[in-house]
Amino acid sequence: MAAISLSGVTKRYGDVVAVRDLDLTVEAVEIYGFLGPNGAGKSTTINMLLDFVRPTEGTVGVLSHDAQAEPTAVRRQIGILPEGYGVYDRLTGRKHVEFAVESKDATTDPDAILDRVGLDGDGDMKAGSYSKGMRQRLVLGMSLVGDPAVLILDEPSTGLDPEGAKEMREIVRAEADRGATVFFSSHVLGQVETVCDRVGIMRDGELVAEDSVEGLREAVGTGERLVVTVDAATGEQVDAVRELDGVETAETDGGTVTVTCDPDVKTTVVSTLEDEGVSVQDFTTEETSLEDLFLHYASEDRTEVGAT
Amino acid sequence: MIAKKEFEDAVRSRWLLALAGLFVLTATAFMLIGAQFLGSGERNTFTSSVVLQFMNGGFTTGLVPLIALVIAYSAVVGERQSGSLKLLLSLPHSRADVVAGKVIGRTAAVAVPLFFGFLLPALIAALGPLQFALLEYVGYLLLMILLAAMYVAIAVGFSASTASGTVAVAGAVGVYFFFTIVLGGITGAIPFVFGLGGAPDWLPITVGELQLVLRLLNPSGAFKIVSGEFLRGTLFATATAASEQRYVFSTEISALVMQAAWVLLPPLLGLLRFENTDL
Repeated sequence: MAAISLSGVTKRYGDVVAVRDLDLTVEAVEIYGFLGPNGAGKSTTINMLLDFVRPTEGTVGVLSHDAQAEPTAVRRQIGILPEGYGVYDRLTGRKHVEFAVESKDATTDPDAILDRVGLDGDGDMKAGSYSKGMRQRLVLGMSLVGDPAVLILDEPSTGLDPEGAKEMREIVRAEADRGATVFFSSHVLGQVETVCDRVGIMRDGELVAEDSVEGLREAVGTGERLVVTVDAATGEQVDAVRELDGVETAETDGGTVTVTCDPDVKTTVVSTLEDEGVSVQDFTTEETSLEDLFLHYASEDRTEVGAT
Repeated sequence: MIAKKEFEDAVRSRWLLALAGLFVLTATAFMLIGAQFLGSGERNTFTSSVVLQFMNGGFTTGLVPLIALVIAYSAVVGERQSGSLKLLLSLPHSRADVVAGKVIGRTAAVAVPLFFGFLLPALIAALGPLQFALLEYVGYLLLMILLAAMYVAIAVGFSASTASGTVAVAGAVGVYFFFTIVLGGITGAIPFVFGLGGAPDWLPITVGELQLVLRLLNPSGAFKIVSGEFLRGTLFATATAASEQRYVFSTEISALVMQAAWVLLPPLLGLLRFENTDL
């Protein structure tokens, strides 16, 4: 049984299409990374899973339930870290967790939860005095109450320092080992790359690619970008670079040449440009950005979408 | 469960303490003044209910609705804007649970200070020169809680049906002015406009009947009918004590039904809009 299934889901806000004809399936017991820049439709998609937002078209299923018809049945079985939440300023951290325990009819020990998310000793403080990172830990903790079958985390590393983000990833892994399905979104490539089994990439409301994490790593590995500052370069001169082995794309606006290539052909790229008579002034490499990933996947056969 | 959390959250608010203080002060002042004036002459002929009758006009119907609206206007929309609604709805609660929990929790948040506010005056009534009518006293407290519940329900209904805090405030202010000042004023002015005796030809009912209808439709009016009769000891009385009886049995029942409707309908209408909205 699929843990999450969206079919033909579209969400419009007036004339704006936030999500367009989305088909997405997350199998049980996998860690699925939902990647995309801000505004790509990730949160809208997640909010439809939680019934915060209703789809204009299509059906949304979580476990064996329709997310819109049976939202409480869904919420009983899943743990949620939503985006854009607020805490109850006047209630303590422990009260928050206790409320989750009572709401879910769970037997979880609130202190064990606080301990797990690194808030041990802070449970008696009012949540209003928590830092952003502590709030994020608190709500992550609330989502873990009752060992849910599916965890849905929207940008879980928001507000966390690198150490906190690492702890969060460890919790995600531990939950997957317990047998939970984890669906989490991020606009940071590194977050997704290190924990996920599979990734889906959203852009402008559409799922532009789905890949195994190995496939993603390959894309990231080969996708290093070289930016060469030159006096002047013509299209023909850049064509020679494009024909090199290990070079994926090469473009120029006259003053700079941008090349996506294997890291080990960088020097060949520069020397080829010089051989072509281009005077190279400087060059820098940039880490793969989401934008580069889109280019990488866009250049591949689109039938990969939906295939596993 | 939401009601419980709601209440736990609300009792931590300084507002609530201030409110209890306000109730203690005003109710005690009423009782002291009442005891002074009524208790001086023939001892023990006046009961605490007479003082409550005085309060029923200005204090109760002026202050209780205002406080209920202030306490409840942001109940849903405030959580929507702060984002804590997402936390609440991440747990297995339906939107209907949220609206119902808000009505109950916030009513309790007015009821508790009301209760404590009326403890000291009760003591004064019991020990002072007045006869302390305990049953009437407790009954009146419950009726005040019903009054608070109506205005909490109206405010929560508004609060659930809008995404804008400003609209919710405007709604609450509008409700207060409309029901307690405008509609009350119109109801009172009608006899002066149309003359005490008859009614204009175009009106199918008499002036008295029109007044009664307006009073029944107004939550504060419906409350006054029931509470006034209750304090006079003539609620649900049969027509034998006709001279004392201001309202007939059927009117009293209608007033109670109207109060129930005010508690139930606004939250339901609010929920209807809340159910179909994106957060």
